[in-house]
Amino acid sequence: MKQIQIPSGMRDILPDECEKKQAVNRKIMDIFTLWGYRPIETPLLEFYATYRSSFASLEEETLYKFVDDSGQILTLRTDMTLPIARVCASKYTGGNLPLRFSYCSNVYKVRQSFAGKRNEVTDCGIELIGLDEKADLEVLSCALDVMRELFRDRCVLEIGNSRFFWKACRLAGLDEEQSAVLSDLIDRKAMTDTKQMIEAAQLRPEEKEFFNRLPLLGGENALEDAEEVCFDEALREIIRHLCRLKEQLEDLGYGRNISFDLGKVPHRDYYTGIIFEGFAEGIGSGVLSGGRYDTLLRKLGRDLPAVGFGVKSDLLIGHVETETQEIRKLYYRPSQEADAIRKARELRKYGPVELVMEETE
Amino acid sequence: MSLSIALTKGRLEKQTVDMLERCGYGIEKLHNKGRALVFEDTVKDIRYFLVKAADCITYVEHGVADIGIVGKDTLMEGGSDYYELLDLNIGRCRFIVAGMADANPLQMMGHVRIGSKYPEVAKQYFLSRGMDVEMIRIEGSVELGPVLGLCDGIVDIMETGTTLKENGLVVYDTVCEISARAIVNKASFKMKRQEIMSVLSDLERIVKEDAERNQSEGS
Repeated sequence: MKQIQIPSGMRDILPDECEKKQAVNRKIMDIFTLWGYRPIETPLLEFYATYRSSFASLEEETLYKFVDDSGQILTLRTDMTLPIARVCASKYTGGNLPLRFSYCSNVYKVRQSFAGKRNEVTDCGIELIGLDEKADLEVLSCALDVMRELFRDRCVLEIGNSRFFWKACRLAGLDEEQSAVLSDLIDRKAMTDTKQMIEAAQLRPEEKEFFNRLPLLGGENALEDAEEVCFDEALREIIRHLCRLKEQLEDLGYGRNISFDLGKVPHRDYYTGIIFEGFAEGIGSGVLSGGRYDTLLRKLGRDLPAVGFGVKSDLLIGHVETETQEIRKLYYRPSQEADAIRKARELRKYGPVELVMEETE
Repeated sequence: MSLSIALTKGRLEKQTVDMLERCGYGIEKLHNKGRALVFEDTVKDIRYFLVKAADCITYVEHGVADIGIVGKDTLMEGGSDYYELLDLNIGRCRFIVAGMADANPLQMMGHVRIGSKYPEVAKQYFLSRGMDVEMIRIEGSVELGPVLGLCDGIVDIMETGTTLKENGLVVYDTVCEISARAIVNKASFKMKRQEIMSVLSDLERIVKEDAERNQSEGS
């Protein structure tokens, strides 16, 4: 049998698509450059142990794994945040903070077969390391610049704060397992299941009200509604931080492209502050996602706050206008080969030239 | 902005269409389907299409449908990349564990084999009870499994229990209650929140009406 299949979830990207994808990537990377980020590349392979020890709720089955010649388990990187955090903790031990990195790299995840999903995607993003939540506004503005460059007004960046939920869980006395189950329910806005779980838990009425309304604390008046259901000063402080961000972003002219959702409860356990996700008209899933992760670098041996985001550029192909250069053809007879190459050299000043040998003299 | 709604064919179809009709939507075309696959609403800016239950999730996850109407049984077995915003309270039934009258699979020791159309639901249920069982996927007439000795017990949905009884099977436990849900694509919910919430609140009104009527009839 001829071996022509490629592994599940993989794709060949042919020139028509590839040109568009690279153009999109360039657009995004250009913005990062303008914001002062410098590119970084890290190995495709990491030790499985690096991921294992950094993410408490790692879904093992979603990682590609291999064994190297010394018997250690290797994995294809599933994101760029961890490799960059590892680099910061091990190679940038000197003073100069903050650190700004941009990347455009492929990341890998084993996903359900036959669901039409990709296991290899290109992630284009930034990490800003060494600045606390005072830098939230800067990173959100950069994300909004990217969204607007790609989609003009046909997009929205949705902002939340992961601490809002986790803090409320602690204040309400929910244990770790209960909180984890509840976070999954609320994140999926599974209204019925959320209600059932809240009813069964030992909670005060105002806490029940809080968790029951959390999934739908989004849309137009999200922050006002959220303020209303807060049952503790610590929660109100988080809302105040978001209100300040909202005002500042509106002031900067991003008002039409932002919205807030407090029912965004992160599935990744490392987010510790703001989280955000970008959506665009006509694309069925989020195209940009990011947030603050102030405890990740500590696990790798260096205690630094950090924030970042990435764009899944594969999703954008066909949805973002890109220019492709026309390739002109230069025909020549076999005996004129050198002349043709010389002429093409001249013409290339104005754009791509493809040489085509004619069959007859 | 226009909405696309994926409806589940079969058991839920009639009840769902009735609910939409009571919402005042223009679903005439769904009553006289012919060979068409996509149906335009004659009142609202909505198009409907009829799909198999499991496909409903796929269409919603990919954003081809903004809203999907599908049973909780299918949701429990399939993916989870969507919002599950409303319990429609139709298509009510429950997941049960059943076995032969003299052989309760929940009290068996050693290697226990469970047949089901819903291996994921069954696996989770037995894991939560601390039982390590082998799952055998059976596509239809699951009751046959224990009768012919293919497996020791089954996990299946039950409406009336008649089929089980006629084949000499006994229900040993309820896994959970099931009903139809409205699920929503995550990105659609961000980009078309108002349109989606308006459909959901129309449906919720009908759900409440029915609940009140049932209550007054019951009392």
